[in-house]
Amino acid sequence: MEDLTLRNLVYRRFVELGRAPTLDELGTDEAAVRRLHEAHMLVLEPDRPEIRMANPFSGVPTPHRVEAAGRSWFANCAWDAFGIPAALGVDGHISSSCPDCGEPIEVDVVDRRPDPAEDVFHVLVPARSWWDDIVFT
Amino acid sequence: MNLFRSEEHVARWLNGREPGATITSGKLCELAQAWWGDRLAADWRPRTRDESQAILERLGLTGEFWQLP
Repeated sequence: MEDLTLRNLVYRRFVELGRAPTLDELGTDEAAVRRLHEAHMLVLEPDRPEIRMANPFSGVPTPHRVEAAGRSWFANCAWDAFGIPAALGVDGHISSSCPDCGEPIEVDVVDRRPDPAEDVFHVLVPARSWWDDIVFT
Repeated sequence: MNLFRSEEHVARWLNGREPGATITSGKLCELAQAWWGDRLAADWRPRTRDESQAILERLGLTGEFWQLP
């Protein structure tokens, strides 16, 4: 399978399943997904050939949950949480929490706009270093 | 990369650490649309570094902090 074909299959299966597909479910092998990892098309777990991220989707539970089109997914970060409705081309609902006070943050995305719009987004790591440690970023 | 209830909450969470960049959730929504909007398209291709930088610049995210490697 060509790399882009496999990459598109990963994303399609992620959308369908609400979680990361396994290599068996993809009908592929470790060498193929590792090529996608090296090309930053997805991120593997550091110690095993399991998909940790196919941005904006997360393969593991996170504080950022997204509901859209009748399904739900975990996102890697708040940016990615807004990215899931964007990628699907639909409205959505984001459930997160403020890292300072722990209070829940619930945001609807309607017609590409957040409601409410009072929350703010903070990026700690400068853009030049995002891929130095993408899980931390 | 997190959502906070306000800039005051960001400052308290930083607890003296060097701040990064803070934008409104409205701007974040625009950024997410531009950055991830094509991610499920059948004809998706990887963006070049310059194409990604252009997205940030179009949204006014300029300066050293937003410079990709």
